[in-house]
Amino acid sequence: MNSTTALLILHGLCAVALLGAITHQAASVLLPARRPAGSFAGRFRAVPAASYANAIVLLYIVTGILGAIVYAEYRISVRTVIEQLEQRAANGSFELKEHFAAIGLGLLPVYWHYWRAIEHSRARTAVTVLLAFIVWWSFLVGHVVNNIRGFGG
Amino acid sequence: MAPARFAAFAITFALVYPIAYFICVENNFALFTYHPAINEWNVGVQKGRDGPAMYWYGWLATSGIVALAAALLATLLPDAWTRRASSATWIVALGVMLAFCYLLRGFFVR
Repeated sequence: MNSTTALLILHGLCAVALLGAITHQAASVLLPARRPAGSFAGRFRAVPAASYANAIVLLYIVTGILGAIVYAEYRISVRTVIEQLEQRAANGSFELKEHFAAIGLGLLPVYWHYWRAIEHSRARTAVTVLLAFIVWWSFLVGHVVNNIRGFGG
Repeated sequence: MAPARFAAFAITFALVYPIAYFICVENNFALFTYHPAINEWNVGVQKGRDGPAMYWYGWLATSGIVALAAALLATLLPDAWTRRASSATWIVALGVMLAFCYLLRGFFVR
């Protein structure tokens, strides 16, 4: 296993943690639960959402840095294969991923501010849901594109 | 930084950064270029050497500097401006995301 594969696995693990945290938080602001929640779904959205904000910012930055490091290898080894296979939708989806992830990075300071402030509840909900969408898109596209090239390829 | 000043900084950064990033991508205003095949960095926009050239890092840097400068200037503005602009942050980000979908539609439709 080379260092890029190790970093890719670490990138994936951080992304899983980020995905879980942001999904909990987005669910809690979109569908606030009555407490105490009885069902699994109820408990899923009954988390103290504000306490996730710092971890989400940190995980987003760490996942982004790891992604930026392995991106160079993707550009040489994976994208060329995807182009040869004429997988245009996969290629375009990854292009969107890089741009969405960049936009998400620019939202982090205001996301953090919204979760510290008492006001801005609508903007807080909107930015959280937008970040959740970006994380889900990035995770799914990264996973699919990695599968096209194959593990350690 | 005081909370009110940080609010102005964060809101302005969120408003300026996506637009600056879109302009950087559209016009290729990359602060630097990376050549992954030879592991070399160059200032400004350069053509690929022995392989593809990567501009993404350069676009992030350019738009980050522009947004940072705007956000620091915004800390000097009155708080009322921040309150008015606060609800627009996610709308601007979503608008730029949709603009990228339109820009890259060629990958999905023939």
